[in-house]
Amino acid sequence: MKVAAILLDTGRELLYRKTIIVYFGVVTLVLLFFVLALQTDVANGVIASLTVAGLEGSASQGGFRLGDGAEGPGMGGLTAEMFVRYVQLGMAFFLYPLAILMSVFATASLVPRMLEKGTIDLMLSKPITRPALFLSRYAGGALTAALNLLYLTLGLAVILAWKTGVWNGGFVLSGLVMSFFFACLLAFTVLAGVLLRSTTVSIMITAVLFVASLLVRLPHSNRDWPLLITSRASRFLAQAVVETLYYALPRSYELVQSTVALIRHEGSVEWGAIFGSAASGALALALAVVYFSRKDY
Amino acid sequence: MVALAGLDLRVPAGQTFGLLGPNGAGKTTLVKLLLAIAFPTSGRAKVLDRPPGNVRAKARIGYLPENHRYPPHLTGEQVLHHFGRLSGLAREERSRRVTTLLRRVRMEEWSGVRVHKYSKGMMQRLGMAQAILNEPELLILDEPTDGVDPIGRREIRDLLLEQRERGATIFLNSHLLSEVERLCDRVAILKDGVLRREGRVEDLTRAKSAFQIEVRSASPGVLEAVAARVPGLTVAENPGPGGLPGGAGPGATSFRGTWLELSGDVPALNGAIDALRRQGVEIASIQPRRDSLEDVFVRVLEEGEPQ
Repeated sequence: MKVAAILLDTGRELLYRKTIIVYFGVVTLVLLFFVLALQTDVANGVIASLTVAGLEGSASQGGFRLGDGAEGPGMGGLTAEMFVRYVQLGMAFFLYPLAILMSVFATASLVPRMLEKGTIDLMLSKPITRPALFLSRYAGGALTAALNLLYLTLGLAVILAWKTGVWNGGFVLSGLVMSFFFACLLAFTVLAGVLLRSTTVSIMITAVLFVASLLVRLPHSNRDWPLLITSRASRFLAQAVVETLYYALPRSYELVQSTVALIRHEGSVEWGAIFGSAASGALALALAVVYFSRKDY
Repeated sequence: MVALAGLDLRVPAGQTFGLLGPNGAGKTTLVKLLLAIAFPTSGRAKVLDRPPGNVRAKARIGYLPENHRYPPHLTGEQVLHHFGRLSGLAREERSRRVTTLLRRVRMEEWSGVRVHKYSKGMMQRLGMAQAILNEPELLILDEPTDGVDPIGRREIRDLLLEQRERGATIFLNSHLLSEVERLCDRVAILKDGVLRREGRVEDLTRAKSAFQIEVRSASPGVLEAVAARVPGLTVAENPGPGGLPGGAGPGATSFRGTWLELSGDVPALNGAIDALRRQGVEIASIQPRRDSLEDVFVRVLEEGEPQ
């Protein structure tokens, strides 16, 4: 019951902050758009005709486009399955970053606010252990973000299945992968929050770590780059920094690749990246819990 | 910097205990150590026979911190339900207590309003309700009347008296010495993290060898004459409804009588009585003079009065 109380309160707090509401509103508008504006005629798994908000769709350079400039009538044999995957990839491309961004903004304040004088005293006086309190708070943030992503992916998958007859479960799974990715990222956000007690700095650190986790993949996967550094000590140091960052941070690039693979049904999920990210997130979370459990407030 | 040093303190169950001291004396630090909000560098404490921070013990404690803040997105009623859940109260019991307490602290009309719209006094009333929601065996209050108007202070005092009657042990940390004096059985005075004085309020405020004598049917001239002959006897000036200067105990106020003060021991008191009676002065009452807790507090802190 105590953990449920923290989860419930965390959800309420996030809704109160409006950031999640904005994201929820954007996703709802997107879903409504697809419900109301998309009309398809599917025959034998092929899109015979397509209308979006009154604009007729047609085949164009291997894909499709709406309105003027089309190469000709018809959808050029575009299958409903391909159409669904294109749409879902597009939505993932635009809405996943938005979801992660909004979730980071919304949840970065969870720990600093809890640590404010007058709030933390009261929380720590209640019959709940410090690790349970901290982890519940973290779980509340991760769960709220996951529910929002699930709303997008499940909603869009259901609507497209209704409109085209094609169900792509990979899109829903990709949402789960993104939720997992956010949970790993949130572990670093709460670690920054408990150490520095600042929402703004937590957001900045999360952003820096996210970018670093993307960038570090390039030198990690390219074995020849250290040869560009002539000094042996500098080379060793640079390699050590790159490899440490790569293994210490969530594997953002590989996780994004995994979501694409799930949506397109091409390639496979990179389980090494999943487990590696889980380990780095768990380590960050463990450090945060240990610090929180020993700190005087 | 040492916040507390060499502190040895025991608060018996069922008592109302006041912790006094100037700002920075270590009062809040002590409370935080008892609740495991902060940890000592050395030493040990027990709360309800368990170490600080023990979850089972904390379920039996109610706490109102200084400058407490509640989640601004919650209404008053939601705040109580939230902390009730955290205290492990079952739904039905929680709902019953929340309703009763909101009525008790006169917050029913505001129960559906988010707490960020509450005044300081309302926050304190809600804070009190939160602190006693789990019917605690030990109630720890850090400045519960801070920023509360006189009527609100009286309500909080009544609430604390109810808790005391219920059998709860109350640990009160307050700057308002008059409140502490009215409520507490025992007090401790801290200064610079060191315990300077500890004992029953009655013992601490009892002045050494001083008495108050209420007399009737005597002209001021007669009293002045007696006072001039008896060493240590003075006619008190304008006692007023609040009692004699220097503080008087319960029942000290009299609008019909005149008050005399005597600094001296029991034989001196008998001498004064004899002198007054010889002049035909009617003695209505005699009582040992008491200092106010404020007098004791100021003496201990500023004059370094020894134990």
